[in-house]
Amino acid sequence: MVILNFTLSEEGVSVFHDALACMYKFSDDVCLEARRDKLTLTTLNISKSAYVCFTFAANRFFSRYHFEGNAQYRDRFFCQLYIRSLLSIFRSRQGGDSARDKDASIERCDVAIDDGPGKKSRLIARISCRNGITASHSLPFESKPPTHAKFEKDEAGNRWSISSSTLRQLMDHFGPGIELLDINTDDDDHVVNFTCFTDKVQKRGPHGNEAVLKKPLHTNISVEMAEFNEVEVQDKLHIIISVKDFRAILQHAQIISGELATYYSEPGRPMKLSYSADGILCEFILMTVGEQDAITQKHKNTRARASKTPKPGSGPGPGPASKPDGSVANNEAKDVPKPAQKPPQQKTPPQPRQTQFEIRPPPIPPRSPVAARTDRSDSPLFVEQGDEDRQWDPVDREDEEEMDNARVEWNATGEPVLLRHFPLVARKKMANIHSRTRRPCELAVYWQDRLCPVMSQTDLLGDSSQPSSFLRHVSCCLLCLFFC
Amino acid sequence: MSQPTQDAGPPLFRAVASSTRPLYQLLKAVGFTNKIHVEITPEGLRFSADHARVMQGAAHWNKNLFASYTTNLPPAAGNGDDDDPEPEPVSFQISLPAFLETLQIFGVADVAARQARSDIDPLVRGNPRMNHQHRGGNGSDAFSHQTLHGGGFASSSSNGTCILSYPSDGGPFSIILEEAGVKTTCNLTTYLPEMPEDIPFDIDDLSFKVIMQARYLLDALAEVGSINPERLTIVVSRKEPYLRFRTSGSHSGAGGPGVESTVDFRRGRDLLETFSVRAVERAKGERRWSQTFKFDTIKAATEAMRIASKVSLRGDGQGVLSMQFMVEVEGAGGAGGGVPGGGAGLSFLDFRFVPYATDGDEETDTEGEGDDVDMSEA
Repeated sequence: MVILNFTLSEEGVSVFHDALACMYKFSDDVCLEARRDKLTLTTLNISKSAYVCFTFAANRFFSRYHFEGNAQYRDRFFCQLYIRSLLSIFRSRQGGDSARDKDASIERCDVAIDDGPGKKSRLIARISCRNGITASHSLPFESKPPTHAKFEKDEAGNRWSISSSTLRQLMDHFGPGIELLDINTDDDDHVVNFTCFTDKVQKRGPHGNEAVLKKPLHTNISVEMAEFNEVEVQDKLHIIISVKDFRAILQHAQIISGELATYYSEPGRPMKLSYSADGILCEFILMTVGEQDAITQKHKNTRARASKTPKPGSGPGPGPASKPDGSVANNEAKDVPKPAQKPPQQKTPPQPRQTQFEIRPPPIPPRSPVAARTDRSDSPLFVEQGDEDRQWDPVDREDEEEMDNARVEWNATGEPVLLRHFPLVARKKMANIHSRTRRPCELAVYWQDRLCPVMSQTDLLGDSSQPSSFLRHVSCCLLCLFFC
Repeated sequence: MSQPTQDAGPPLFRAVASSTRPLYQLLKAVGFTNKIHVEITPEGLRFSADHARVMQGAAHWNKNLFASYTTNLPPAAGNGDDDDPEPEPVSFQISLPAFLETLQIFGVADVAARQARSDIDPLVRGNPRMNHQHRGGNGSDAFSHQTLHGGGFASSSSNGTCILSYPSDGGPFSIILEEAGVKTTCNLTTYLPEMPEDIPFDIDDLSFKVIMQARYLLDALAEVGSINPERLTIVVSRKEPYLRFRTSGSHSGAGGPGVESTVDFRRGRDLLETFSVRAVERAKGERRWSQTFKFDTIKAATEAMRIASKVSLRGDGQGVLSMQFMVEVEGAGGAGGGVPGGGAGLSFLDFRFVPYATDGDEETDTEGEGDDVDMSEA
């Protein structure tokens, strides 16, 4: 029986396509979730560091929308599909020159989801072109409940919002080959700084044991606060996200052209970006990198050992009841389920919720012995991950209830230290890959003239101490793994 | 400077074109092989490409694409006389990628740029005239006829010349391109003709015939091709949906197995200018023609669909599919009004496809019955 049935206009198809194209930059597949009043597309990237959610209002976005639950899907239907095949279906068709040809553009697009006992589970999209050609595509789908990332808005004390097109223009100044974006404010100058950089290293020296920053270049773009619709950010709070994700978001935000709002609390905690247009709400939850500067500073001040952890995810706080700490965690913290001391310049949000996040999470957590020890099996995140094979089984109602509530919270209940080390291993792998594939030491000097009201400034850094400490840390963490 | 070196007698073939663009486009449409079979006839050049004996494509360069066209074909039936209808055609094979590369050596895309340049470059315009004078020396019959072309040609906005010649059997095929004082001579090695027989297409046993704009065919194939399919099934039936293309995803495709795409003309019946079906499928008691082809071979004709204005799809009783494309080309290299009766010439591209062998129970049966139904539009 047809469970879900909706019709898109030509414009709707292109909005749908834009949304999918944006998601495709994060992941290969998308979860479709239909309720009576809305259709939601969600995806979580493979490293589970970014979550995308597009919500389409049933009564405003679609020309027709009908959801009819059955026994299996009473009040919501969900499935997972390949984005690539959807992209080719919902692409726009060229209108052609009207003089000679009939218009080949899309007149309407009917989508039906057919499922039920004894039926093939298919998503059928029937596209009717204005010239009369009808194309219908039928795609198999996987019945898999979506995973939602959780974001606690109460906790996110920092927020700013800005016109998405303005922000998109800033993106032009991001240099090539950068990975990370540090957003911070300076109340004295009334500016918000967008600093992009990368900490990729390349190997040098006779034994390849000397690591040098690949691009010792920081590009800083200062935007006057007046450009923002709202800025309410703790002064000098550095929040770091992945540029790739940010770019993907901005490219789509510019199409939707609304006001882009962000909410975040502190490094190592998720950041939410959202914007909306008529009938469509776009939300992104990105995990932020544990703040680097704060860490390195702190290491120097506090513990010698800590300097070996150049780039851990920050918040170690293990217990759900413990308060989130600012940024620093070290090995000593692992036995103490209490938050590490909070960085002086950072505000501690009042929420007791504790999460741990790495921008590069463990490559293969389930297989690692360390992961086993972290006892994450009952942790609330990555619910479906536990049993890969189960996703092929018929959907079980009981399980479903559980899975219905599946949420990724980036909440580490295990030992923080171990968790913290995973990304470093991953990071080392990354570095290796880069050193193999990239050309040696290219120093890109990126200079942007002052543009009103945006100021760009480029810092060239020498070899920083980060790579070497990074290496030390890698060895340290490898050791740690070995030990386990 | 444009005089080709001639050692012994007039070349077997010599033609001058002012623009390589239509030549390139037509040839590119059959550009799915490495070696292409060339046949020189007094009426033009015929190019045949073959892919694994399941697909064949043929392009024609009609002689009115050229400002001048001369052949001195072997005396089997006359001595290089164009008026003689039966000279022995000369055939050989050449490397198609190299040929295509040569033809676009000055770029075929930037016509506008070249036209702009031609206004200030009398040298370029001068060259064609010289070619004609040279050809006059050959004393061919075509000359007097073609002079008219030359006149209109030289005074039009043409600016480059392309001289094709085949001096003698077994010799290199030579292409001389001149533009803005730059002269490029390319000699392509010719190979022994090795053209397999044509795929048999029984024109007396047509099962269906559909004529439509090539664009719709292109759109339809783009639609079903998005899942990177392996096979394409074409169904033609008298009743709805009339004409249907169906593919299913391959394992390597975007959608993976289980994905199916269908395009039909149920509502787009009026897009089909001519539509006649004569096939009978006994098993299902309905008149339809249904054959499955390798999608990649059909896709190889995409370039033809792009440049053609109309396409005629025909299927015969054995399931062989013929696609004939009508391409409107600027006649005689943009000579414009100078060509008597030439104008925008029509050129045709022919493709034939062999279907997958069908299972016994699906075998189409076209014997006897099935009176011709012509539902072509008024």
